[in-house]
This record gives sequence, structure tokens and C-alpha cells, in this order.
Amino acid sequence: MLSTASQRPDGSHVQSAVTPQAPAVSRGASPALSARGLTREFGVVVAVDGIDLELEAGDFLTVFGPNGAGKTTLLSLLGGRLKPNRGEVRVGGERLAFSETAWRARIGVLSHQTFLYAHLTVAENLRFFGKLFGLTDLDERIPARLEQVGLSDRSDFLARQLSHGMRQRAALARALLHDPELVLLDEPYTGLDPYAASVLRGVLSSLKDGRRTVVMVTHNLTQGLELANRLAIQVRGRFGWYGERSAVEPDTFEHFYHRVVEAGSA
Amino acid sequence: MPSNKLRVGGSAMAVLGVLGILVLHWMVFFWTPTEASMGIIQRIFYIHVPSAWVAFFAFGIVALCGAVYLWLGDERLDHAAASAAEGGMVFTTIVLLTGPLWGRIAWGTYWTWEPRLTLTLLLWFIYLGYFLVRSSTENPERGKRFSAVVGIVGALDIPLIHLSVLWFRSLHPTPVVVKPEGPTLHPDMLLTLAVGLISFTLLFLGVFLQRYTLAVATHLAAVREREARS
Amino acid sequence: MTYLSQIYAIVWKDLLLEFRTRERIAAMGAFAVLAGILFNFSMDQTVVRPQDIAAGLIWMTLVFGGLLGIGRTFHLEAQDGAFQGVLTSPAPKDAIYIGKITANFVLLYIVALLVVGIFTLFFGLDLGDHPGMLALALALGSLGFVALGTLFSAVSSSTHMGETLLPILVFPLLVPMIIYGVSATSRLLADRPIADVAGNLRMLGAFAVLAVGAGAVMFRFVVEE
Repeated sequence: MLSTASQRPDGSHVQSAVTPQAPAVSRGASPALSARGLTREFGVVVAVDGIDLELEAGDFLTVFGPNGAGKTTLLSLLGGRLKPNRGEVRVGGERLAFSETAWRARIGVLSHQTFLYAHLTVAENLRFFGKLFGLTDLDERIPARLEQVGLSDRSDFLARQLSHGMRQRAALARALLHDPELVLLDEPYTGLDPYAASVLRGVLSSLKDGRRTVVMVTHNLTQGLELANRLAIQVRGRFGWYGERSAVEPDTFEHFYHRVVEAGSA
Repeated sequence: MPSNKLRVGGSAMAVLGVLGILVLHWMVFFWTPTEASMGIIQRIFYIHVPSAWVAFFAFGIVALCGAVYLWLGDERLDHAAASAAEGGMVFTTIVLLTGPLWGRIAWGTYWTWEPRLTLTLLLWFIYLGYFLVRSSTENPERGKRFSAVVGIVGALDIPLIHLSVLWFRSLHPTPVVVKPEGPTLHPDMLLTLAVGLISFTLLFLGVFLQRYTLAVATHLAAVREREARS
Repeated sequence: MTYLSQIYAIVWKDLLLEFRTRERIAAMGAFAVLAGILFNFSMDQTVVRPQDIAAGLIWMTLVFGGLLGIGRTFHLEAQDGAFQGVLTSPAPKDAIYIGKITANFVLLYIVALLVVGIFTLFFGLDLGDHPGMLALALALGSLGFVALGTLFSAVSSSTHMGETLLPILVFPLLVPMIIYGVSATSRLLADRPIADVAGNLRMLGAFAVLAVGAGAVMFRFVVEE
């Protein structure tokens, strides 16, 4: 494995209990999210190559990595959008079996596509997805979520009439509408104006309530370190490094990140 | 490796099939009696009908393998379905070439909407759809699944198509052709037909097994190459 | 029941979108009228009576025009990846399919009635003594058509060839619908007794049921990535 796998950012080596190939020590009965040997190929391209991870409720994992590392594919696998070629994903101990759909109600996804219909209003979009998720209290839920993302005054705007930042906020409301225990975010800060970014940061902090699990993929090293308690650096479909936020210093992280990426790309 | 046995078995069947077809040709040209109403041209029947049988038999394999492939996900089932489809399409083409040839000489027209020939024409297009859908998808795995769906839905629809075409024809009976093979089937003709059916089937199965083992081997080679590179 | 409300949500959403964008209904409607105009010029009415060939023209217009609209079923879904949101929701794939074909059926049936209306206007058709039966024949045919068309529209939307692949995939399968549908229609237009039409309607119904059933089962394999 890579020499940096068990190397601290400051250069010292560490007998890490967490290495890319060994799963984390289990701290509870069944972890909130776990993946074993997760592999996904597209023809001859191996986008995700045998990734293991384990998260407890309340964990916030940020996955860093260069373009083409397979981070979006990883998120798609964790969210049940793609079927793995090998390995499995478990949410709260329950295996993601594609013949059933009940587990999908526990997962919320914010992708770089907004998943919104341009010609429906924000409220109509939320109502539609709310119905798909089998929610019955939409008359209370929708205004509450819209308020949380600061879009209460735009609920009757067509999605196409919103700016990019507002659309992302609407997408966030959609992702969280059904109160999912697992939240997956793919580059959520991309293209956001400072106000939208601060709204997002606020909402993401509120997700750290101890019972929800969050996995966020991002390019932005600063934003990625902010809320996370677990970190991973994905290179060429594998975790070049996987560890605790506390093991890392923000000042040296960038340098460390580049070293891991170089080693993994070799 | 199982594919060695299959390959040898396939070669054996293909050889038997070819031998059978040689025997068939001898029977067709020198042995079998001439049909009374149509004369010598009727002999094309012994190529035409076995080809049609294989065309539909192959499609049955395509649909069945496709269905189990969707259910179990085993790649080999897809290789089997695709291999059967290749052979099936070839024989379907043979039917469509021999049919009009026969028709032109026997009855003066290249095409009548004879129900079985019509069904075969539609089958040809279903096969076409099968291959187009495999080759024009971004993600080859999706293409395989699409083609399995084409095969299954096609197989479900074919009986209905046949029924409807038969019914349609019953409204507009043409005096020319009621039974293309002729009003009666002499036992010698039946024997020739049987030889034809068996040898064409053997030939198809032989080619199918060869094609299948080739597909599996190609796939394994691609997998090994990828593993070696990473 | 959640299942039904999920289907209803999809039907409502599709129809609302269509109402707002008028993307497909406009194309199909314009096609229907223009086809009628072209047919007028393609018939020498001293040689041929429109009433005699109207049934075939109606169904062919419906098939070609309908395919235009059905081919775009997943077009709006592809923008902004909204369909991914639907696929990753707890809604079962067959519920999504049934919602989609219900919405498509509504649109297509409106177009079917439009075609009959336009052709009656253009060619002075006499719709016979049983216009209700005619409406039923069109409904059953449209249902089977929509079921197959929607399934394969999901297929063709994911290929390089796109909508141009759709006729190749769907036309061979539609032969029973054409045969029984045109026969029923032409008999009704010729004022034949209902007994002559009942068999055709039954077969149209069987075709529709089979098509919907097959589609509902196969759809999940088509949308899987």
C-alpha cells in the first residue's frame, strides 16, 4: 500500500488503526453506514476499486480527491443510485438491495444536478418529491424546510427563474425534506455565492445532531475540513488516506493532500 | 475449463451439421420426389423451412437467456443470448432470401404476405433492434440489459403478431398459396424435411457454441488485461 | 395507499409540466392537422372514397404522431437530472412506469380524438352508429401503444441514436394493434354490426394488458444504470 497511508501530515509515521484496506473498529451494534469491498466498473474503467468504510451515526465524512478519482461514483453507490459490481453498502445495518425501495427513504442526496423540474415552482417540486417519499405532513414540512434554506419568499417561483445559488438551496431543501438519516452531498459549494454558501454551512452544521450521518465530496479543502470529523482522500478509485479530522492540521493539510494524490496517481 | 469441452462439442456439432446438410442436398437433388403442383422449385422448401425453424428457435434462446440474465446477472447468459442472436439473424436472412426466390419462380411474385414469411420479416427487424440497442449505448452493460428487454418483449409479442397476421390473411384469402409446402407431404418428403431440420439445428448449435466460447474467452482476456494493467 | 399516491404524483407532475411547456401536445397536435392536410392532397377523391380508407389513415397518423410525443417522454426528465431524483426515491419502478404511461395515455388519447375530429371535418366522415365503440377501440389501442412506446422510449433515450431508434424497436411490435385497431375502426365506420367488432376489441384489450404488464416488469431493468 502507499507509504503515506500511515503517515501523519507532519511527516511522522503513525501506527494507524485505520488503513485503507482494514475496516474501522466497530463502535456500536450496527454502523450507520458501511461499505465493504465496494467496486464499480464502467466497461474497462474501474471507477471505485474495493473501498471500505464505516461510519457511526453523527459522523461527518468529507471525501477529497482530484477529478476522475471516482468520488461521484462512490456517492452514487452509497446513495443506491448505482449497483456495485462487487461489495455491498449497508445503511443502519440494512443491506441496500435493489429489489426493495424502502431503504431509499433514509437517504437524502444533493448532487451537482439539482433534481428539480425547471418548469415547476419550488413548492410544486417539493410537494412532488414529498409525495414520492410517502410524506403526509407536507403542508407543515415544506414551509419549514424553505425557511431553513431561506427560500420562503420564493416558493412560488419556477425553478428556472431562480439563480444558481437559490436553485442549490431549493435542491438542499428537497434533499432534506424527508428527514433522512444519511445525507450525501456532491460538491455542494460549487458555484454558490457567499450568502448561499453561508446558508449551506448553517444547514450542514444543523445536520450534526448526533443521529444523522453525512458524507460530503468536495474539492475545496477549507470547506471540507470545517464540519468533518472523518476525512478521506480518494485517488484512482481507492482511498489513499482515511482517518480522523483530529489527525490533521488545517495549515499542513494542503501539502499532505497533494502528496497523497501524487502517490496514488503513480 | 468448461469452454474447451464446449468448443470441441461445438465443432463436432457443426461438422455433423455440415455433413447432414451435404446429405440433405443429395437427398434434395437426387432422392426426394418432386412435388406435383410446383415442380422442381419446391425443393427450396427443404432449405427454407429448416432455416425458419432455426431462426425462431434461436430467438427463443435469445429471449430465455436474456430473461435469466436479467434475473441472475451472469455475464455468460448474455454471451449466450448474443451468440444465439447472431446465428438466428443469419438464418432469418436466409429465410427472407429463399422465400421470395421461391415465390417468384413458383407463383410469379416475389412477395405475398404469407403469414409465416411476414412474421419472419418482422423477426428480422426485432433482431436488428436487438443489435442496434447493444451497439449504440454509452455503457455496454446497459446495452446488454436493453437487448435482453428487446428479446423478451419481442418473444412475448411474436405469438400475438402471428395470430393477428393469420387473422388478417383469413380476411383476404389469396388463391395462390394456402399451404406453401404443397397439399400433401409424402413420407419421403417428410424424411428429407426431417434431415433438413436436424442438420440445420446441429449446424446452428455448433456455430452457437463456437461463438459462445469465443465470446467468453474474449471477455476473460479483457478482464485479465485490465487486472494486469492495474 | 402510498403506491397509488406515488403514481398519482407522477401523473400530476407530467401533466402539469406538459400543460406549462406544451412541448409534446403542440407537436402531436400540429402533426395531426398537417397530416390531415397532406392526406387530402394525397387522395384523388374521384378514385377513392375517404370513408373507405379513413380507418387506416387515422391509425397511422396516430402512430407516427404519437411516437413524436412518446419519444420525448424522458426529455424533460433528463434536464437537471430530475429523473435521478425520482429513481432514487422510494417509489417502486413499476409505479413510476404506470404513472408515466398514464400521463402519456391522457396526452395520446387527446391527440387520437383530435385526429378523428380533424379527419371528420376534413373528409366529411360518417362515424357510424356506435361512436362510443370507436372511442373504446382508440382507447385500447392507445393504451397498448403507450405502454410499449414508453418502455422503449426509456431505452432509446439512453442510446446515441436517440429517438430515431424508437420506430425500429416499436413498429414490429405494434402489428397486432394496427391489424385489430384498423379492422375495428373500418368496420365501425362502415356500420357493420357490433358482433363483427367485438373480437377485435377483445384482442386490442389483450394486447394492451400484455403490453402494460410486460412494461411494468421490464422498466426496472431499463432504468438501472
